[in-house]
Amino acid sequence: MTELQADRASETLTTPRIETRSFRSRYRDILIALVAFAVLAALPFFFGSKALLDFVIRCSAFGLFATSLNLLVGYTGMISFGHGMFFGLGAYGFGLLMQRTGVPIPVAFVATLAITAVFAAIIGAICVRLKEIYFAFVTLAFQMLIHSTILTWASLTGGDQGLRGGIPRPVFFGIDLANHVHLYITSCALLVLGLLLMRQIAQSPFGYTLRMIRDNARRASFIGIDVWRAKLTIFVLAALFASTGGMVMALFVSGAYPEFAYWTISGEGIFINMLGGVTTFLGPMVGTVLLLILNDTVTRYTEYHGIVLGVVILFFAIGLRKGLMDYVLEWYAQRRDGPGERG
Amino acid sequence: MDIDALAGCLASPACLVTQTTSGLIIGMLLFLVAVGLTLIFGVLKVVNFSHGAFYMFGAYFAMTAYQLTDSFALAMLCGAAGTALLGLIFERVFMSRVYGADVLMQLLVCYAFVLIFDDVVRMIWGPEFKSMGMPSAFQVPPLFIAGGVVPPYYLLLIGVALAAALVLGLGLARTRIGKVIRAAAHNPGMVSALGINTGLLYGGVFALGGMLAGLGGALAAPVRSLTPGMGFSVLIESFIVTVIGGMGSILGALIGALLIGLIRSFGSLGFPLFTEGLMYLFMVIVLVSRPTGLFGKEVA
Amino acid sequence: MLDIRELSKSFGGVKATDNVSLDFADGSLTAVIGPNGAGKSTFFNLITGALRPDSGEVMLDGVDLAGKSPPEIVRHGIGRAFQVASIFPSLTVQETMLAAVCADQRRSTVLHRRFPLVETRDRAEHAMELLGLANKRHRTAATLSHGDQKLLDIALALVLDPKVLLLDEPTAGMGTEERWRMIDKVRELWETQKITVVFIEHDMDIVFKIAPRIVVLCYGRILATGTPDAIRRNDAVIEAYLGTEDHAEAVT
Repeated sequence: MTELQADRASETLTTPRIETRSFRSRYRDILIALVAFAVLAALPFFFGSKALLDFVIRCSAFGLFATSLNLLVGYTGMISFGHGMFFGLGAYGFGLLMQRTGVPIPVAFVATLAITAVFAAIIGAICVRLKEIYFAFVTLAFQMLIHSTILTWASLTGGDQGLRGGIPRPVFFGIDLANHVHLYITSCALLVLGLLLMRQIAQSPFGYTLRMIRDNARRASFIGIDVWRAKLTIFVLAALFASTGGMVMALFVSGAYPEFAYWTISGEGIFINMLGGVTTFLGPMVGTVLLLILNDTVTRYTEYHGIVLGVVILFFAIGLRKGLMDYVLEWYAQRRDGPGERG
Repeated sequence: MDIDALAGCLASPACLVTQTTSGLIIGMLLFLVAVGLTLIFGVLKVVNFSHGAFYMFGAYFAMTAYQLTDSFALAMLCGAAGTALLGLIFERVFMSRVYGADVLMQLLVCYAFVLIFDDVVRMIWGPEFKSMGMPSAFQVPPLFIAGGVVPPYYLLLIGVALAAALVLGLGLARTRIGKVIRAAAHNPGMVSALGINTGLLYGGVFALGGMLAGLGGALAAPVRSLTPGMGFSVLIESFIVTVIGGMGSILGALIGALLIGLIRSFGSLGFPLFTEGLMYLFMVIVLVSRPTGLFGKEVA
Repeated sequence: MLDIRELSKSFGGVKATDNVSLDFADGSLTAVIGPNGAGKSTFFNLITGALRPDSGEVMLDGVDLAGKSPPEIVRHGIGRAFQVASIFPSLTVQETMLAAVCADQRRSTVLHRRFPLVETRDRAEHAMELLGLANKRHRTAATLSHGDQKLLDIALALVLDPKVLLLDEPTAGMGTEERWRMIDKVRELWETQKITVVFIEHDMDIVFKIAPRIVVLCYGRILATGTPDAIRRNDAVIEAYLGTEDHAEAVT
């Protein structure tokens, strides 16, 4: 809320202090990221529990994926129901490169990003022109295409068994990803860095271009914005972060499975966004933590977790009609402003 | 890739007949699901992401009814009527609450029901593959047309689906209720202005869509294996059909479904590993050249 | 100078714009009038690239813009505001202006810096002052009054420093008093900014009072052009308007 208060304070000044505002917001975000990373990195020294670290690693993988989806859904208004394909592509691309070529991990990482970018550019070029519901389902169709390719091209991908035999993890720069704590710290670093970069995208002039497209794409084109290009750009950028999430997942399970590329990953991503809320940057992160806790708890008690998950989704979609963070934020704003006084 | 097999088949009348019939039944089943999808979209502007569930329930209802009564006709009736009721309830109780909300909410409600319905089926009928078996009336020697093998049941399936398409087409063109539905698809605001109960209309369209998909499922039950996930793969294919044919167009759904059916049956000869890929490829080609589908209207 | 030559567009056989040729001198103020369905909005849509003309030219300072995309045409200097205020509901007034200047400076794809950019400040500030929106800078656009939303729409076009400004019914949906305030604003902008302004207007009192030059469109064709006095005496115009009763009194 400090940004809002700062805005209100500047209202009394004759000139708005744009310089200081953008300068401050960037360094504040970097500071928050550093603190968050320090806290996460310190965790293994206080809690020895492997399960907790595993949980955080999974949160990193899905958090990167869900937050990148929010760049499309929340910031640009593009409801992709096939974003999970890039998660799967990341996992398989990275796994295959490590298994087949034996290149160092950083090389495989960058190469996977490059492959993802190419796929995203081609698929995006076809999809981003389409209207919202067509866009949702054609991205879904591409997801299914990639999934069925993985299933049928068994000689490369292992078919429905997935990439087995483990992913080799040679030591690089003194980092040994076969070591659980090293893997944990690396995942946290990738998460924090990824979030920071996505935050930068969201708060950059381009981020505001995306907001304009979401609000009113027609108007955006009449102030000189090339809507198609902007949409394609964010489609590719978001794919890169989703792919990073997939790579974290591949490292975590030391393999890749067809489920990583199945449509339910996209469905979960959309649901995470809904759960956390799309109006705040960290909403999807909150949603990720909530969904993973929910999944873990539910699977412990019943095999029918689809029903439980479905009911929870219905509660949010029909009951609250908004995500948790949206709800909290609105409640907070109402409390502060008092009833009936909305700015 | 096996181009020789495809070329060989195209040269042989027997193979041509067999593949065409199997393509036609795939297409007809897809049509029954896709036409509901396209109808619901046309009238309500909602993509019923959980439409595949009606197909799945139709199949399971038919199987249970057949096991209980041993009557094929009753099985078909149960499949269709049960899902019609399900569609009505689903629309009235849940979907009607999110018409005003954005697409995201609609998709989420449907997503929730895909998860719920699959688990409900798993609970009632179990997670394993089930089979209804061919009804005794159709356990007769197959017909031979130009040397190609055609099971009589296939002819019945194609006939029933074609009849459904015909009745639907005529009903929409000739009857009063059909005219209202077309008017609603054309101009949603006008219908409430005419004093027509939109709740009834919307519920009815969902019930009709559900019934057609359920009939599809019931017809498929003797020739397909039944599993809790069966609805979703059909949904994706039906969606491809509606995209190719053009959202909201019934003729488009028919043509699209037949094209996809034939691509699948002949594609499986020439490109056994890439049959699904062919479908997507075809969709992409159509979308790139005509973004609103073959029979879709230009949306301003 | 904006020079329209033999511009035509038809929809399924109906000619919405039929061989229209017009020129607008630099710094001129022109009103476009005509009965409902006369093709006024289509005319604007053709100039701004929302629709692709079937034939004809849209020459701005010797460059043909016909058939180019809206972003390209905007960058050549033709800005527009819409009949129904077309704004960005979730952005504040100030953010809207700053983002629009970003777009005009070709900085809308900048990724490595934070919004807002310092370079955009002065122009955004200037536009808000001009339209009287400066004291509402932190309001989100959705919460503005109808009139302020229309002003914001115009500000969005104006902040891009256009050579030509097309206003599609700036007073649509306003009460009498508010209409006059809006039209005074339009006139003031025209006088101070020295730009070419073309506006569509239904209120004949307003048109005849402030527009030095009037263009009358009917069934996609130009019925008449001229000064208010000439238009008032034009038989064809009177007949066209007598055909549609509601404007008959206004003209005579």
